[in-house]
Amino acid sequence: MAAPEQLPPRVGSALDELRATIDRAAELAREIEARPPAAGDLSARLADVESDRDELSTKLAEYEQQVGRLMNLYVATYQLHATLDPSEVQATIAEIAINLLGAEQFVLLFWKNDARDSSGECEIAFAQGMEDDQTGLYPNGIYGGGDPAVDATLSDGVLRIGPIDGSKALACVPLTVQGATVGALVILKLFDHKAMLRTEDRDLLDLIAAHAASALFAARVYSNTDRKLKTLESLVALVRRQ
Amino acid sequence: MKTRKVLVVDDSKLLHRMFEMMLRGFPLVHAFDGREALDRLAEHKDVELILLDINMPRMNGLEFLTAVKAHPEFARIPVVIITTEGTEDDTERGMQAGAAAYVKKPFRNEELLGVINRLTASPAA
Repeated sequence: MAAPEQLPPRVGSALDELRATIDRAAELAREIEARPPAAGDLSARLADVESDRDELSTKLAEYEQQVGRLMNLYVATYQLHATLDPSEVQATIAEIAINLLGAEQFVLLFWKNDARDSSGECEIAFAQGMEDDQTGLYPNGIYGGGDPAVDATLSDGVLRIGPIDGSKALACVPLTVQGATVGALVILKLFDHKAMLRTEDRDLLDLIAAHAASALFAARVYSNTDRKLKTLESLVALVRRQ
Repeated sequence: MKTRKVLVVDDSKLLHRMFEMMLRGFPLVHAFDGREALDRLAEHKDVELILLDINMPRMNGLEFLTAVKAHPEFARIPVVIITTEGTEDDTERGMQAGAAAYVKKPFRNEELLGVINRLTASPAA
């Protein structure tokens, strides 16, 4: 076959055109071959975006839970200190136990005479769902000991969360004022739709331990002082009239 | 944006405070028993949703619900029962009396907001 330069100019030009076309075809073929990796790249980017979205959704759910948890803590603290009426403070402790912790059966214990007297007994200041109590440890508004977890919490002021060997309590929350344990909130049963105490409940239990007794103590002190003041005012008024 | 007024009927001050925190996008009207709630409804005719406890003094939740559903002006308002364990019979009676949904205590924020968003026109804040 003759070399192209030896061919007539018209044929040579056509051959050049053919070569250019072949080169262009090869270039296009390379571009087409390059396309699958580009599509793969898009898929990878899509996967990244989906992963980011999932991560953000998880974080959002975590933040929502966090907000809910903080909201519970804020509301509980606010409400505990919103009144100086001892019975209202007590009712608030019960409301926290029922509405925020989901406690169906619980007792609020205080050492008799506000001190660990020789009897070693606690009075039950408030009880919920104890009508069918099977433990027999809380008769006639008195707790005389017998549950190892409750006794330990009343003694050392440490929060205990069950299950605890030999104890019927799901949680024993010490009630402390200025470092002294004056009683305990004992949770014995949760509502059926709440299988167990959750991690976030621990914060609420800590809050009760730190705030409930001091709120109640402050309310009792105020109530006693207010009563004495009113008695004195009546006496002064009486003396002035005479 | 149109505001959706919510009537909260519960004898627990703690829960009223909780709803105030949770439902910041909603103007709230508060009542602590059924009888007071009927008075509040008469004053606030633009209430669009009622959150209702069952066990309350004076007039309980079921009596209030019956009164609301019998009232031509208020019967259209969706009622969500806020219930505790052990009151399933009452909850069932409430649903039969016309409650739109119920939520069990203790509830998570997103759970309550989900129900409210479903029952009201546009999403809650």
